[in-house]
Amino acid sequence: MSRWRALLLVVTLLVGAGAEGWAHLQWPEDEVRAIRAHGPWPPPAPVDPSNRVSGDPAAIALGERLFNDARLSGAGTMSCASCHQAERNWSDGRARARGRAGLDRRTPSLWNVGQGHWFGWDGAADSLWAQSLRPIIDPLEMAGSTGHVAALLRGDPTLGCFYRRAFGTAPGSDDEALLVDAAKALAAFQETLVSPRTAFDDFRDALVAGDLAAAARYPAAAQRGLKIFMGAGNCNACHFGPRFTNGEFGDVGIPFFVRPGEVDSGRLGGLAKLMASPFNRLGPYSDDKSGASALRTRHVQRLHANFGEFRVPGLRQLGDTGPYMHNGHLATLQDVVRHYSKVSPDRLHSDGVPLVRPLGLSADDQADLVAFLRSLAADPPPRPPPLTECGAG
Amino acid sequence: MRRALAALLVATSASGWPLPAAADCPLDLGRGTGWVMFSERAIVAFRPEPLRIEVGQPFSLLLNVCTRRNDPAELVAVDAQMPDHRHGMNYRPTIVPAGQGRFRADGLVFHMPGRWELDIDVRAGSEVERLSHEIIVK
Ligand code: HEC
Ligand code: HEC
Repeated sequence: MSRWRALLLVVTLLVGAGAEGWAHLQWPEDEVRAIRAHGPWPPPAPVDPSNRVSGDPAAIALGERLFNDARLSGAGTMSCASCHQAERNWSDGRARARGRAGLDRRTPSLWNVGQGHWFGWDGAADSLWAQSLRPIIDPLEMAGSTGHVAALLRGDPTLGCFYRRAFGTAPGSDDEALLVDAAKALAAFQETLVSPRTAFDDFRDALVAGDLAAAARYPAAAQRGLKIFMGAGNCNACHFGPRFTNGEFGDVGIPFFVRPGEVDSGRLGGLAKLMASPFNRLGPYSDDKSGASALRTRHVQRLHANFGEFRVPGLRQLGDTGPYMHNGHLATLQDVVRHYSKVSPDRLHSDGVPLVRPLGLSADDQADLVAFLRSLAADPPPRPPPLTECGAG
Repeated sequence: MRRALAALLVATSASGWPLPAAADCPLDLGRGTGWVMFSERAIVAFRPEPLRIEVGQPFSLLLNVCTRRNDPAELVAVDAQMPDHRHGMNYRPTIVPAGQGRFRADGLVFHMPGRWELDIDVRAGSEVERLSHEIIVK
């Protein structure tokens, strides 16, 4: 595209910037294209071919019940919702989760989790159902057992009724298959956790539609922050797409020592767990007999560079519910932005142009970047009340 | 992506290579949204499937490989890297021969926007040669 054309297509926004007066921000065509890639929102509902009850209303109802049911845990005291709390953006506000024992990683938010393809900070699971199964039987988390979950589905009339409606048969005699089915219902429920539209989405849609008056309603500080995000910050190299994550892994210089002399190897260990798991997409429990949805699992490679890499988190609905990062190392969004501004280049061994480097942002720039990150969150609409009666159907 | 589409021909070393008659080497995959690369020993025509490469989305390549002296053409490897950042893909493509110089490479993912270099290793006779092509994804 010629320079001349680029100039003609420059979009100039006259922005009311409150006490600062009016600010002019220009959005050339290539920037509009980059912004466009962060939508549309909400995305189409996910369908997971490896989960035959993905999207099924009865499975969603069963999954929501199970999610809140402490009887899944060994001691009967802990449910998924103990750590993934709806009012805390489906996380728990702790730097590191606390199950039966203390864990080394933070409880991630479950917003938009149905759109992912690797799950957990290390991507040790390749499906939402495989990820949902793990905490139930992990002795450090809920410390339940396969037989115990199967007995619950078989013995509880309401759970059994929802199970029949979702899976078309009464709970069978194979305990492990029942555990997987419970996890698939949990996954169907979590697929419905979609974060709300935000001020950023209105801006993005207005800019793409060429509606400059509507676009100008997006606060000037957020617009300036977005410029840094896509420009000097290069944040969208990793925080790409509608969810602001490419779904892959990176190292942004967060310490990975868990105790003196012990490290969290992140993605490197995650891939080993993935390949060893009988519940991955290549195993017998995937409902996708074509194998097409196992493409990433078949082709993923384990690289030395995976050591100390963690999943790129999505940036929607972060709100102010820190702490942040895989181990809660940073308490606030200001701390996160300061980290990217001052991160030590020595810690980030890179032979090429580094993806993460100390940005040296001014205090104003940092405030703008925080304003932009905040604009990716909004008040979620109230959830519809869960189905309590199974009934006929 | 537009810039990549415009770059129809990239030659790693094009010296002295007479283009074969179309009948000798089918270039159909290189037409339109595809690409053709050639070197002293080999000519490779290919296109992605789906046609538009999206950041983070798996894609395949359909390739046609010919050699200059009509040695049997073999596609040895397909890989890609971001030369600016010195990292490759997180996925290892597999190659399925489809006969008569045609191949299919599955499991490629460009997980970041920016400049990628596609490296295609072709065996022509006893020599293996790398042909490289630049693709910009946005
Ligand atoms: C003790 C607290 C705790 C409990 C209880 C718990 N989780 Fe988690 N959850 C975590 C932590 C910590 C992680 C990150 C795990 C990792 O990276 O290894 C996580 C990760 C996840 C993820 C992956 C999210 C992502 O973005 O990749 C999903 C999905 C999930 N949990 C669902 C569940 C479900 C379903 C249950 C109940 C069966 C549950 N969790 C119970 C703490 C908990
Ligand atoms: C190289 C890829 C990469 C780049 C570039 C990058 N990030 Fe990140 N970001 C990550 C990864 C990976 C994590 C998680 C790291 C961890 O937990 O150790 C993360 C974490 C975050 C978090 C915390 C989210 C949470 O839920 O804990 C925020 C906020 C964030 N990044 C914002 C930014 C901003 C702003 C920029 C640009 C200044 C940026 N990122 C650049 C990969 C990247």
